[in-house]
Amino acid sequence: MNAIEINGLTKRFGSKTAVCGLTMTVPEGAIYGFIGENGSGKSTTEKMICGLLIPNGGSIRLYGRDYKDETIRANVGVLIESPGCFPNISVWNNMMLQAANLGMKNPEEKIGRVLKIVRMEGAASNKYKNCSLGMKQRIGIAMALLGHPKLLVLDEPINGLDADGMRLMREILTDLTKTQGCTVLISSHILGELEKIATHYGIIRGGKMIKEMTAAQLEADCRTYIALRAGDMAKTKMLLSGRYLQVKEENEELRVYDAAAPEEIVTWLYGQGILVSEIRTAKVGLEEYYIDLMGEKEGR
Amino acid sequence: MAGNNRSKTKFLRKRRTLNSMLSVDFRRMFTTPFFYIMLGIAVVMPVLILVMTTMMDGSVSVDPSTGVETVIEGFDSVWQIIGTASGESSSAAMDITSMCNINLAYFMSAVLSCLFVSADFKSGYAKNLFAVRPNKMDYIISKTVVCVFAGIWILLGFFAGAMLGGAVAGLPFALETASMFGVILCMLAKIFLLLVFVPIFVLMSAVAKDRTWLSLLLSLFGGMLLYMMVPMMTPLNSTLLHVLMCMAGGALFFAGFTIASSTVLRKTDLV
Repeated sequence: MNAIEINGLTKRFGSKTAVCGLTMTVPEGAIYGFIGENGSGKSTTEKMICGLLIPNGGSIRLYGRDYKDETIRANVGVLIESPGCFPNISVWNNMMLQAANLGMKNPEEKIGRVLKIVRMEGAASNKYKNCSLGMKQRIGIAMALLGHPKLLVLDEPINGLDADGMRLMREILTDLTKTQGCTVLISSHILGELEKIATHYGIIRGGKMIKEMTAAQLEADCRTYIALRAGDMAKTKMLLSGRYLQVKEENEELRVYDAAAPEEIVTWLYGQGILVSEIRTAKVGLEEYYIDLMGEKEGR
Repeated sequence: MAGNNRSKTKFLRKRRTLNSMLSVDFRRMFTTPFFYIMLGIAVVMPVLILVMTTMMDGSVSVDPSTGVETVIEGFDSVWQIIGTASGESSSAAMDITSMCNINLAYFMSAVLSCLFVSADFKSGYAKNLFAVRPNKMDYIISKTVVCVFAGIWILLGFFAGAMLGGAVAGLPFALETASMFGVILCMLAKIFLLLVFVPIFVLMSAVAKDRTWLSLLLSLFGGMLLYMMVPMMTPLNSTLLHVLMCMAGGALFFAGFTIASSTVLRKTDLV
């Protein structure tokens, strides 16, 4: 069964159409990376899934039921933008309020457990307003986890997290899907991080889904390239550009796409009087794939 | 039979969710410093009003442009700040004794209700809540009930402050046109009138959401329209009929505005 099924979803704000006939399928147990530029409609879509915005058209089904169904909504954990906490009360009391909203009886043990998962057990008595941005994001995750959700909807959850926080978030989400069968819909601009955990991707642009694929399909779609460094980079680039269709300079290295083998390049450049100091074969990552895809759509 | 059991289960679940929402809102309302600040103001305000008007009683102010002299009249008794007996003219007059009285508690209740509801939307708590609890009716009922209870405390605080202020200002406590039973019924009628005012404030807050200024503006305007009827509905010598009328009006407003508020939340974007 699919955790989320969206068909023809539309949302307008006045004369502006934020989401336009969006179709999206998130399989159960997936970590679905929801990618798009700023203002592409990611957050609007997530807010509609959570029932916070009213769609102008289309349908949203969660685990086969209408998204407004009370029983299914009780199984959704949400972190949209920032955690909804009262600034002047403690982290623990904010968690207690959310536990009461979820109708939990004797939630102390559960709150302790989720705070431990996000490594915030030591800061439970801190006032929410005194927490750092990273701590607040962790609290938001803890709140989302509190109701033992089947579906987690996370909007930019790794914003403001340090490297350790990002690693922790990766571990939590991977563990949730593996051990509890939880489905995660996660949007983020940090594509490198997303690539490490996502099993499925959806790329949205101008409120429309332009591509949905699995991680395996992304892997297959991603082109390989040869990255090299040489003494005279400018001359090397000029020479390679005359021989190969696509040559890019990135991160102080030259990337040659659609080349046959590294040996061939090294030999040919040697013949042109250039010594290659470093050469390797690599694959295009999610970030480059996304940028390329966006460029294609723009006709660049 | 199965259908009966299903509807019973649904009813029990609904009652449980409403109860948990009420417990959250009660806990929040009675732990927020703002409630105690408002309660403090409700106690101090009548003390200041009674003491200052007693000090100024009989003094004459002259309008420099027209030369018209106005004699400032203070309160004749402590009970005048609670209400005037039906038939007395001051209920319709615009003097200090008819404007600065216990009915100001309704405005304080408006401020408290607006801040309480808009804090949900401002903090993002409403986002957390509505994502897991789609039922808007429970939310509105809970907010209204809690704000009514907070309003009762403000009314009682004002009453206590009036007694204290009366004692400090040395005003007479003798009841001339009403009995103590009438005063109790007057306070009871005022409490039931909260059920008329608070649902209006909650509706305005549901419309304004996180825009506190708008909810305050709409609530104070909406409250002002009904403010003038309060002295007539709750005279100092109230009878059971006054109480019943306020109760009926309260029930009607509570039901009507609860439906209206939950419809507003259901049909509009929440963030």
